Amino acid sequence: MATINYRLIDVDALDPESAFPAELLTPPCDPIPTSEIQSLATHCRQLLQRGDQEAALVAALENVPYGGDEQGKELHLGTVLEILSSIKAVEMSPLLGRLYASPSGTELLDVLTKYLYKGMARHNNSASSTSTPGVSSHATGVSSVSGAREYGVAPGRGDGGGMSVLLSWHEKVVEIAGTGAIVRVMTDRRTV
Amino acid sequence: MSNAEQPSPKEPTSLCVCRSWRGVKEESPEPRLHCEAPLPSSTASASPGLHLSFLPRLCTLPINSSQILIINMLLLEYHNLLLKSILTERFNSATAASIDQVISDFDGVTFHISTPETKSKILVSISVKCYPDLLRHGAQQVLEREYGQHITETETGYDFSLMVDLENLPAEQEAKEDLVRRISLLKRNTMAAPFEKAIDEHHRLAEASKGFNPENAPTGEGTEVMVIRYREEEAMYIQASHDRVTVIFSTVFREETDRIFGKVFLSEFVDARRRAIQNAPQVLYRNDPPLEIRNIPGVKDDGTGDIGYITFVLFPRHLTPQRREESISHIQTFRDYFHYHIKAAKAYMHSRMRRRVADFLKVLNRAKPEVEESEKKEKKTASGRSFRVQT
Amino acid sequence: MVSRCRFNQISGGGVRVQASNVSSTATFHENWENTKMSQSLRPYLKCVRSSLTAAITLSNFASQTAERHNVPEIEAAKSPEVLLNPLTVSRNENERVLIEPSVNSIRVSIKIKQADEIEHILVHKFTRFLTQRAENFFILRRKAVRGYDISFLITNFHTEDMLKHKLVDFIVHFMEEVDKEISEMKLFLNARARFVAEAFLTPFD
Repeated sequence: MATINYRLIDVDALDPESAFPAELLTPPCDPIPTSEIQSLATHCRQLLQRGDQEAALVAALENVPYGGDEQGKELHLGTVLEILSSIKAVEMSPLLGRLYASPSGTELLDVLTKYLYKGMARHNNSASSTSTPGVSSHATGVSSVSGAREYGVAPGRGDGGGMSVLLSWHEKVVEIAGTGAIVRVMTDRRTV
Repeated sequence: MSNAEQPSPKEPTSLCVCRSWRGVKEESPEPRLHCEAPLPSSTASASPGLHLSFLPRLCTLPINSSQILIINMLLLEYHNLLLKSILTERFNSATAASIDQVISDFDGVTFHISTPETKSKILVSISVKCYPDLLRHGAQQVLEREYGQHITETETGYDFSLMVDLENLPAEQEAKEDLVRRISLLKRNTMAAPFEKAIDEHHRLAEASKGFNPENAPTGEGTEVMVIRYREEEAMYIQASHDRVTVIFSTVFREETDRIFGKVFLSEFVDARRRAIQNAPQVLYRNDPPLEIRNIPGVKDDGTGDIGYITFVLFPRHLTPQRREESISHIQTFRDYFHYHIKAAKAYMHSRMRRRVADFLKVLNRAKPEVEESEKKEKKTASGRSFRVQT
Repeated sequence: MVSRCRFNQISGGGVRVQASNVSSTATFHENWENTKMSQSLRPYLKCVRSSLTAAITLSNFASQTAERHNVPEIEAAKSPEVLLNPLTVSRNENERVLIEPSVNSIRVSIKIKQADEIEHILVHKFTRFLTQRAENFFILRRKAVRGYDISFLITNFHTEDMLKHKLVDFIVHFMEEVDKEISEMKLFLNARARFVAEAFLTPFD
C-alpha cells in the first residue's frame, strides 16, 4: 500500500457527481444492423445505375446510420462517396440547390457535410483505410461499374483525386448552405 | 590591418578569425544586411566586399566568361592571407618591429610568426596535425626544395620552421614578393608532399605500362594507399595508378541538415562533369568506404551515413607537369570549400526564414484592430486630473 | 465595394481583407484566388478558410474542474461536453489540416507537403524556427500535434483582441506562403549547389 502516492490520485474521477453522464454526450440512437446498411447501399447503387444520382444521394443522406457500428458507418461512407464521385462537377450546384429547397434541405446538407469531412479524415487513421478494400470489394461484388467508380474516391491512391472531389463538393455546399452547415457538423453529437 | 599588429602572445586566434584571414573573398550571396554567414564582418575590410546578390536566384547558372570573375571569388585561396600581409608589410617597411603572433588556419593548422632573437630575423613555424603522415610521404624533401636555405631548427611545439633574415632579403621587389608568396603557401606545400609523390608514382607507372598493349596492361591495382589523417575524424586517401591518381576524402556530417545539404551539393559535384565540365576530374560520392580503402585500418563503416566519402579521380591531363601544381593546390581546398558552402547555404536559409517570419508577424499583427484615434486622447479622472491611455 | 478597396490600399495589397460577411465577398475572392493559385490549391484553401471561419466561434469559459482557472479546454480535455467534433481538411495524403474545436479554444494543426528528404529537413527547420519564436506569434503552439508539422492554438482571448477574419486570413496566408517558401528554398539550394560545384571543378577544365 505504501507504494501508492495518494497525492497523485485523481479524486475527481472517483466523485460520481463530477463525471459527466455519458448518455448525455451521445444521444440515443437505435442500433442499425450492418445488413440494413448493406441493403441501402444496394438500393442506392441500383438508383445510380438507372442514372438517377439525385435520388441515390437523397436516399443515402436521409437514412443515416447514426446507430450503426464502425463497420456499418464505413460502409455507408463508401456508398456516399461513390454517389458523390459519380456526379459531374457542373451538376453539383443545381443538385444541391434542389436539395436545399426541399423541406428537410438543411438537414440533408448538414449530413452531406459530415460525410465530406469524414471522407477527408480517412487518411488519418490507417484502420479506416484498411477497411476500404472491403467496401470496394462489396461494390465490385454488386456491380463492376460502380466498383470501378469508387476507386476514384478511395484513399491511398496517392493522387489526391478523391480529395479534390470532396473539396469541390465542400465548396459548393458552403456556397449554398453557408458556414452554418460546418458549425452543425462540429456540434452534432450524432456522428456519421 | 590593425588587429594584425596587436600583440597576442601565444594565444591562438579563433578559427573564425582565421577564416577571414584565409581570404575567403566572397560574402554570403545576400546583401550583408541580412547576412548571418559564419564569416565575421572583418572580411569586408580584408577583401573587396563583393556581393552575389545579383546572382539569379532560381535559374540554372550557365558559366560564361563574365562569370569567371565571380567563380574566382567563390573559391578559397591557397595561401594564408594573414601570413602574407604580415610578411609583405615587414619586408617593405624601413623600420624593424618585433612580432609574436599565432595564426590559425583550416584543418587545425597553426602558424607562429615571431622575432625571437632580433627584430630583423623572422621565424615562421607551422604545426600540422598529420605531420608524421606527411613526413612518411616525403614532406621533408618537398619543403627542402621549396624553402632551401631558410629552413632552420624547428621551434618546440611546432613541426617545421623557417627563418627569414630581413637584412639578407633579395634586392629585387619581384624576388621579395616571390619569397612572401612561397612562405604564405607553407601549409599548401607541407600538405602537397603525398600528392607529389602520387603524381610521380603515376608517371613512373604510366611509363612502365607503355610497353604493354591495352589488354594486358597492369590494370588498376596501383600503389599503396597513402593515408593522411589531417583532421580529428577525417582523412584523405591518395592512390596512384598508371592511368589516374585517386584522392578520397572522408568527411563527417555533424547533423542531419549538414548531411542532406551535403548530399545535394555532392550530387551536383557528381553531375557537373556530365553536364558542363567534361574535362573535370571524375567525382564519386558514397556513404560507405569505397573499395580502394576498405582494407585500411581505421576505416570503418558505421552504417549511420554520418561519414561521407568523396572520391576524386584525377586523370593524366590534370597531372601534366604544367598543371600539377595547380591541381595539387586546388584539390587540397576541397574539404574546406565544401563545408564552407554548406555553412553559407545554411546561413542564407536562416536569413531567409528570418525574413519570412517577419512577414508572417506583420500579417498576424494586421489582425489586431487599430485603436481609434479618439480613444488615445487624454482622459480625465474623477478628480479632474488628465491622463493618457497606455496601449 | 468602395470600403473594401480602401481597406486593400491600407493593407498594402499584400493580404486581402475579408469582410465578415462571407457570402457577399465570395465572388471577389474567387476572382482573386483564381488568378493567384494553382488549380488544386484553391479549393483546399477555400475549404480551410470556411472551416476555420465556422470553427473560430469562441467564448470565455471558466474551467469546470479547477476553480478560478481559465484554460483552453481543447488542451485540458477535462470536460468532454465542451469539446466539439474535430474536422479534417485534406488535399492529399501529405497535406492536411486538423481543426479541433472547443468552447473557448481551437487547435489548428497543419501538415505541410514534404516530397523528399530536402523538403523534409527544410520544413523541419522552418517550423522549428517558427516555434522558437512562438511568443511573438500569439497563436502559435509551441509543439505541433503528433502527426502534423505545426499547430496553432487560438483562444477566446485572441479572438477578443484580434479580428477573427484576419486570423483566418493569417492561417490561410501562412499555408500558402509556407509551400511557396519551401519549394523556393529547395530550388535555391539546388541552384547554389550546382553553381558551387561547377565553380570548384572549372579550374580543372
